[in-house]
Amino acid sequence: MNKKKINLMPWIFNSPYIIYSLVFLFLPLGWALWLSVTDWNLMSPKYNVVKLGNFIKLFTDEKVHAAFWNSLRYLVPIVILCFVLGVGIALLVSRLPEKLKGFAAVVFFIPYLTSGVSTSVMVKYLFSYNSAFSTFLRERLNLNINWLQSDMAFGIIIFMIIWKMAGYYALFVLSGIESVSEDVYEAAMLDGCTGIKKLIHITMPMILPTLTSVVVLAAGLSFQIFSEPFLLTGGGPSLSTTTWQLEIYNASFVRFQSGYGAAMAIANAVQIFVVIQGITWVMNKLSRKFGW
Amino acid sequence: MKKKVKVSTVIICIVTLVLMLISLFPYYYMVLQSFLPWNMVDKALVPKVVSLDSYRYLLGGNAAGAKDALKWIRALMNSFLVSIPTAAVSMWVGLMTGYATTHMQYKGKSIIYSSLLFQMFFPVIILLVPRYMLIRPLANHYLGMILPLVISIWGIFMYINYFKTVPSTVFEAAKIDGASDMKILMLIALPSTKSISIIVFLSVFMTRWNELMWDMLVAPDVKMQTLNVMISTQFNQNSTLPGPMYAASVMLTLPVIILFLCFSKYFKEGINFMLK
Repeated sequence: MNKKKINLMPWIFNSPYIIYSLVFLFLPLGWALWLSVTDWNLMSPKYNVVKLGNFIKLFTDEKVHAAFWNSLRYLVPIVILCFVLGVGIALLVSRLPEKLKGFAAVVFFIPYLTSGVSTSVMVKYLFSYNSAFSTFLRERLNLNINWLQSDMAFGIIIFMIIWKMAGYYALFVLSGIESVSEDVYEAAMLDGCTGIKKLIHITMPMILPTLTSVVVLAAGLSFQIFSEPFLLTGGGPSLSTTTWQLEIYNASFVRFQSGYGAAMAIANAVQIFVVIQGITWVMNKLSRKFGW
Repeated sequence: MKKKVKVSTVIICIVTLVLMLISLFPYYYMVLQSFLPWNMVDKALVPKVVSLDSYRYLLGGNAAGAKDALKWIRALMNSFLVSIPTAAVSMWVGLMTGYATTHMQYKGKSIIYSSLLFQMFFPVIILLVPRYMLIRPLANHYLGMILPLVISIWGIFMYINYFKTVPSTVFEAAKIDGASDMKILMLIALPSTKSISIIVFLSVFMTRWNELMWDMLVAPDVKMQTLNVMISTQFNQNSTLPGPMYAASVMLTLPVIILFLCFSKYFKEGINFMLK
């Protein structure tokens, strides 16, 4: 009897999580799988089962093509720039005098706290026709550029995301660098390994697990872009800035093709899974080759 | 030798300073413009005249906003009313589940752990439409906004990673002394997780505060909109009022930044658990 009572406590501790995941994960997951084979329109009680029709339609939908390729177009610069800037900032901060380190880390972390909404409305205003910036370009330099409906829009969104995320990843790299023991550096120094050589042969390999996490996190991030294209460009010009999240939202709640939206979300999940697995595989290979 | 070190340190300090200025400039600009009189907005980079016009416009007392004078304050309150319970529940559930999956022995533990791992990497976007259907009866209600995002799997893993580093003898000793599991959780586990709890609370708070898509879907009523949603609807199309736009952005970002600055000393310890 006593034993039974003891065994109950773990389930009491776990119960909020269990209830939550049944109601808000497993139930909706089954529901989503069911929706993806229907043509349901979010409102009407009637719908037809279209079997794999939604999934076949995905292959010919230019919006899906755009979302698929754009997620990779976002991924490459975001991963590379977050990595380079993250490592760069971390190396700089790690060499600062002890007193300034904490302050600098906090400053670089602040952009991460900004809502994508506030940066988006400000950037949208900055590039709008009546803003001081556009007026200046028009009147002084005779330039009339519709920034957010030009090829620049993609670059602007990338820049906003990098500005927001680079400092955050730098903190991870910094904590990796700080955790490398002084002894290792001293030993390296005795062997005449300093400067760039020390960076490439000692520091980077030592923090490879951290670097792997940063790359995977940044890659995952590029599949979750929503606010910026939603508010700035609406996915345009000609779908060049659209993302999975935006297209799924539009299909489900704007065009009321909710069954189709569910199918899109599944396609998105498959792509995320494959890409993240691929990146993890490459990073693991790298760490077997260069890591400690 | 000493001099050489100093030169390189100075260079590093200067480069860091430049990067810091770049990363803070948008903030400086936003705060500055929000405090300028409307005819000066976007025309100055140094404050010469300070004016509260933009804030007065947002926070009522102005004829233009008289129709619904309180809507920005209400939106700010909505943001708090949604974010604080979410952060508190996430923290509490994270503590309980984290403790149960590391320092308690029972059948089915591995199932819980696998389920957690599955959810950690699960793309939530798949659940968007069904979650919306589930919650539609609670649309425009705080519960509907809070419930679907009330648990943070990331937060649970923060606690799991932390508890893994604590030797189980600590808790076993208390158990031998006759302490109940609840007592151990409250009196031993909770106090030792202080910095983890603070980080989980703040990070979940920040994520929830900045959520756009879900709040837009589930609370379209202007009375229920969070500040984030209200800024996106009010300042997305018409850009005739840049001053209030900057002021509203300050209102949106400042609470989160202040919270993080107050607790920033706990982050150094916590960040080590984020990547495990």
